[in-house]
Amino acid sequence: MTSYRAFSPARIWTLATATVTQLLRMKILIFLLAFCALVVAAGFAFPVLNPEQQLKLLKDVSFGALQVFSLVIAIVATALLLPRDLEDRTLYTILSKPVPRHEYLLGKLLGVLLLIGAGLLLMDLAFSAVLWLREKLLLAQIIQALEAKTPEAVAQLQEIVGKQGLNWGLHLGVLAVFWKAAVVAALALMISCFASSTLFTVVVTFCVVIIGHGQGLIREYFLQGGTLAEPVKKLLSALLAIVTPDLGVFDVVDNVINGEAVGLGAALAMSGTALLYLTGYAVVSHLLFVEKEL
Amino acid sequence: MSTAPEPTPAVAVENLSKVFKAGLGKRAFVAVRDLSLTVREGEVYGLIGPNGCGKSTTMKTVLGLLAPTRGRTAIFGRSSTEVASRQAVGFLPENPYFYKHLNGLETLLFYGRLCGLAGAELRDRAREMLSLTGLEDAADRRVAGYSKGMLQRLGLAQALLHRPRLVVLDEPTAGVDPAGSRKIRDLILGFREQGLTVLVTSHLLEQMQEVCDRVGIMAHGRMMREGRVDELIAVENQTELVLRDASPELLAGIRELVERDGRAALVRSGQPRTTLESLFLEATEEKP
Repeated sequence: MTSYRAFSPARIWTLATATVTQLLRMKILIFLLAFCALVVAAGFAFPVLNPEQQLKLLKDVSFGALQVFSLVIAIVATALLLPRDLEDRTLYTILSKPVPRHEYLLGKLLGVLLLIGAGLLLMDLAFSAVLWLREKLLLAQIIQALEAKTPEAVAQLQEIVGKQGLNWGLHLGVLAVFWKAAVVAALALMISCFASSTLFTVVVTFCVVIIGHGQGLIREYFLQGGTLAEPVKKLLSALLAIVTPDLGVFDVVDNVINGEAVGLGAALAMSGTALLYLTGYAVVSHLLFVEKEL
Repeated sequence: MSTAPEPTPAVAVENLSKVFKAGLGKRAFVAVRDLSLTVREGEVYGLIGPNGCGKSTTMKTVLGLLAPTRGRTAIFGRSSTEVASRQAVGFLPENPYFYKHLNGLETLLFYGRLCGLAGAELRDRAREMLSLTGLEDAADRRVAGYSKGMLQRLGLAQALLHRPRLVVLDEPTAGVDPAGSRKIRDLILGFREQGLTVLVTSHLLEQMQEVCDRVGIMAHGRMMREGRVDELIAVENQTELVLRDASPELLAGIRELVERDGRAALVRSGQPRTTLESLFLEATEEKP
């Protein structure tokens, strides 16, 4: 018999990798293949548009697919994990081993985050490769079409096309997509700790995600407008801030698509906010799950 | 003169009550009422009772899966609420299910890692358990394709993987064919020889009679009878004389003595015992 350790990263890792395997064997990779096909198609479609528009469209389609992939996995996959373990009674065999409940939750969350992270990384690589290739091809076509021969003219064209091409801002955009999905996954896990069904978790998380995207606007409305009394306004905005995450913090994708730079400071602030949300939701999930009757 | 201290029991259940809260307007359900029992180290203890009598709730509370409403449960002196208490336990739930996407070997490796095993030690132990439960040939097959009996055997393998001191078996023979059922019975007898403590529930009362040192019979959330199997199934108002090499004359003399007594009567010769099954039915039909 081995000795017991109160906190074991090895146990969390075991649960996380089992979660990744579980989700992978649910044929989630098909989504990644579909994404790659979509990116390649978007990269070479609409040749009638000007080069800048073509690159922008490629980024638009790719980021759209990245967001759909990450949010669908974050909501649906996370919502499935806990109820399925409970229904299948695998939870009994796991928790009758020396596994604290918080380690079980952390393992599940880490598993989903690993999968989303790895998926986004692969998609980012595919997306970057297609964008880089398309950028080079378009540049060569323009140089040829405009017969630009002087280094100044070529550099000018490179600057114009490069603004919409591959740059570090794109990867920061992917990082923002990851953090948003991570927060949503932690939220879905928290809801599934008290939800009565997977459907309930999916629907409620989806609603919270929609509200979360417009949280800033709604909070502003409560604070500035209307005939509501001051304490009521404060209470409502506080409730909104507590119940829903402010997902607008992670919306830097539009800036990236428009070729605007995303600073390192903004990326750090975004990461810090995401970690705060993750910690908060993980703590509440533990408080709910530790009291759960199995 | 000082007496030796009582050894720490493998399982201690003290005045356990478990009430499940119901929704608004509904009455709460009392699953277990003021239950106390002790399982001594090294013995095979059978918990029997009809469906819904509170056996599984008691087991889940012992394993820390449920919190007691009142009372306490402990494993080798450690409260069941402490996760560390589970290091000493191997649990086989009724109709166990495992991750369908894993194969038999992967399943054991997964549970072994959760128990702190790793590397070659874990691989060897997993192979050993597969061999013990007769699943060597199915080690590389996905669990989704396992029969009910195979799942039960895999459940037993994962319960024994980390060499626990206490094995908790919830209906270990449910859905298993007679040969498999006999094999599980032999395994339980083997555990006793190895000094393992076993807490088991089953509806196969004859088998329980064979393997258990002591049994507790539950009904309506209460303990109705508890004790050594031999004592429980003995008929109280009858006396058994077991003679060796008794001559017909001696037996005739005994009969004559009985007849002369006028009060005692010879009911029959042989072993005056009831069956655990009869006792079970009698105990569970009683009003609480």
